Amino acid sequence: MKMICINCPKGCEMDVTVDGDRVTVVGNTCPKGEAYAKAEVTNPTRMVTGLVRVAGTRKPLPVKTRTPVPKPKIDAVLFALHQATVQLPVRIGDVIIPDVAETGVDIVATANM
Amino acid sequence: MKGDVLVVGAGVVGCSVARALSRYNLNVIVLEAGSDVAEGASKANSAIVHAGFDAKPGTNKAKFNVLGNRMFEDLCRELKVPFRRNGSLVLAFGAAEERALEELVEKAAKNGVPVEIIGQEELRRREPNVSPEATAALWAPTGGICCPYELTFRLAENAAANGVEFVFDAKVTAIEGDRRQSTAIDGDQPPLAGAWRLTAADGRVFEARAVVNCAGIHSDELNNLVSATKYAIAARRGEYLMLDKDEDGTFSATMFQVPSKMGKGILVSPTVDGTMIVGPTAEDIPDKEDRATTYEGLEKVKAGARRTYPNLPLGKVITEFSGLRAHETTVGDFILGEAPDAPGFFNAVGVESPGLTSAPAIGEWLAAQVAERLGASRKSPSIISKDVSWWPKAREMRPEDLAELVERDPSFGRVICRCEGVTEGEIRAAIRARVGARTLDGIKRRTRSGMGRCQGGFCTPRLIEILGSELGLPPEAFLLSRKTAPKELREQSSRLDGAAVTSVDVLVIGAGPAGLAAACAARDAGAKEVLVIERDDAPGGILQQCIHNGFGLHRFQEELTGPEYAQRYVDMARERGVRIVCGTMVMRLEGSGAVGGPEVTAMSPRGGLKVYRAKSVVLAMGCRERPRGALMTPGTRPAGVYTAGTVQRLVNMDGIMPGKRVVILGSGDIGLIMARRLTFSGAKVLACIEIMKKSSGLMRNVVQCLNDYDIPLLLSHTVTDVEGREHVTGVKVSKVDDRLQPIPGTEMHFDCDTLVLSCGLIPENELTRKAGIEMDPRTRGPKVDPKTMATSAPGIFAGGNVVRVYDLVDWVSRDSEIAGRNAAAYALGACF
Repeated sequence: MKMICINCPKGCEMDVTVDGDRVTVVGNTCPKGEAYAKAEVTNPTRMVTGLVRVAGTRKPLPVKTRTPVPKPKIDAVLFALHQATVQLPVRIGDVIIPDVAETGVDIVATANM
Repeated sequence: MKGDVLVVGAGVVGCSVARALSRYNLNVIVLEAGSDVAEGASKANSAIVHAGFDAKPGTNKAKFNVLGNRMFEDLCRELKVPFRRNGSLVLAFGAAEERALEELVEKAAKNGVPVEIIGQEELRRREPNVSPEATAALWAPTGGICCPYELTFRLAENAAANGVEFVFDAKVTAIEGDRRQSTAIDGDQPPLAGAWRLTAADGRVFEARAVVNCAGIHSDELNNLVSATKYAIAARRGEYLMLDKDEDGTFSATMFQVPSKMGKGILVSPTVDGTMIVGPTAEDIPDKEDRATTYEGLEKVKAGARRTYPNLPLGKVITEFSGLRAHETTVGDFILGEAPDAPGFFNAVGVESPGLTSAPAIGEWLAAQVAERLGASRKSPSIISKDVSWWPKAREMRPEDLAELVERDPSFGRVICRCEGVTEGEIRAAIRARVGARTLDGIKRRTRSGMGRCQGGFCTPRLIEILGSELGLPPEAFLLSRKTAPKELREQSSRLDGAAVTSVDVLVIGAGPAGLAAACAARDAGAKEVLVIERDDAPGGILQQCIHNGFGLHRFQEELTGPEYAQRYVDMARERGVRIVCGTMVMRLEGSGAVGGPEVTAMSPRGGLKVYRAKSVVLAMGCRERPRGALMTPGTRPAGVYTAGTVQRLVNMDGIMPGKRVVILGSGDIGLIMARRLTFSGAKVLACIEIMKKSSGLMRNVVQCLNDYDIPLLLSHTVTDVEGREHVTGVKVSKVDDRLQPIPGTEMHFDCDTLVLSCGLIPENELTRKAGIEMDPRTRGPKVDPKTMATSAPGIFAGGNVVRVYDLVDWVSRDSEIAGRNAAAYALGACF
């Protein structure tokens, strides 16, 4: 199957073959590409960046998942972000939601507010 | 509501009539269907004060054109609106058209308008950019240019200062007249006894003894409700292109071509604002509200304009628009005066070109007619107010006067619209005026904020903030009707603001990643005093709104979001003792100031106007997005069309969602990123439309922003029509052929409320150009030596998107560091 790596702006076009447990990747130019392709066919993940409501202001706080989360969990993560409201002040890296949507990954702030 | 006179329509004619009536002892009310003055033909026309050689002798058009033209100097001086008698030239191409010029000379003589014919040589001497195909021209020195909406607005202000009331959103739907007349006494004309009763669409009732019908394109309908003498107005659409201020000075006169039956042909003219206007077409259309531009129309404008100006630079187009002329089809002339069978009902029907020129004379004449009919006396001149709610325009002021003003009122030190240099003080004044702005368009027409080359891309979020705070209304109420939002955005700056510095080693313009990287590198290379001047209220530049990840893989070997990347540089700058001054706009850059060396003039609300002398300067102003106008997408011009960056700011920083069903035109990276963001925020993104055969954004963004969420990417497609009058209701999309022309029969339709444009970025080089630094037409940035990032001006370096548009911030930082290092070396005495 054809796949485009999303790790860096190069966007390597890769050919991925799955044969039972064996995944063969051709066309990547770095190890990250191979790891990405293998994850895509077994457990695809994505970083999620988003916004969280801030008490007392309309201006939202930008946040992210500390590490990538499984793709099927994105909706649940977004839902959790939508439900949350934070109190200021907040510093970059502060945990806003621990273990978001039971992914084991924390939501952390990406701006000082 | 009751008055003596009801003026229906607040265009330039209605406002001229109202102002003239305000000189009499009469209660005058102006009823306007739209929500502002000048919402019809007065906002969209050629902005020409015609000399009057063209009108058929003996007609009202000829008479009032010539009378009106003579009034313009005094009127514009009184109203404090710009007017320039730049003269008009009518070009003839070949012998047949030269004969047509002779006919114009005869007409001009009959109309009492001075003209002369000049030969090709003289024409070329006066207008070096004119087509060599033009063989002769008619010169009319009394032709002029003015700003039609500014004129209308000041007429209204002065009328209001003299007691005229303005009622908006009052579309007249019914009118009844009591036509009894009282008995004449001693042979005098009988004063009117009965009353006219007008009902608006929302049920409000207005009564008066006289009515003046200045309803423009709808003036026939109002007349036909009252009089047995029926008129019929055809909406004659004219489409235009507006070119950037770079084109100022290309032509000195207004350049006409030999006129035809449908109008005066395609003209090319300077405007009082320094832009260039090109158009109009002339096409009778069935729908009186259809102000859409069309593909065919714009092609006609281009072709027509090229006849006059073969090198017409389409890349300089900043917007296109259309206006509707009120063309009366039965008489073909202005119909002015009391309707024969409706005492007290006065008409100004069919006032099309030269309507703007004629308006002041029509106003005086009609007001005199009405006053006589009502037996009203003139007010004593001593009680007539000259006030026009004037406010100072920062961009036109001498630096010392501006400095003084900012000291008195700091809001004149906060630049909101950077393209046109419009300050917060001006915008607040426009809202607080007697007939004040209530909409984004109202602010735009009164102050020019949002009218420049970025077409509101940067200032729109700030404008809706000011409107919201002045009018005390929540943003949601405005979003759909082009009004808008709340305050609170700005308070959070000042923490980093340095003390006043007047002499520095290295001065950096812009505190985005480029500017901060340059500043850090300059410090590391030994520069002592490094100052960064930032327009926004906080450092970080556009990265602050880029909340997605993917930044810094090369520079920091980890993947960061935009605000995180920006914060790293802010912290690095702070650690190095770089001074950052926020909320400060650089107004001028001079390569060689009073004491040699570069000099920068900057303005801020608290600091006023300041001059900074630097040993070297780094330009790091970044880039801006191509606005809709530059894309020449035909269709209406409703609310709901934004550039991707504007949407990004609204959603990510201001917490405002612009719409629910979105189409994205262009597949630039910001557009792709916003497709995902809008999806995350609950909107349905229907499609991303790209005219080229492949995405202009990075493939990884196509994968993770479109494909992941099943958003279709339509390659080799473009938007061929934008629908909706108040707000976007849909777009038409067509496939294009190899020459990028739409293929008939491939149209598809999307119901949407928002169109997001992501069609490329352009380096922001106002300051650079004005400083006389050599530009590279290919990158649209300054020419630089890639080894040092030095520009053509000694001591001035440049880094980041101001030089060329990068696709990765890591490379912006890298190249800006080179600029910063070399700026420091220069400041320390190195030779370049």
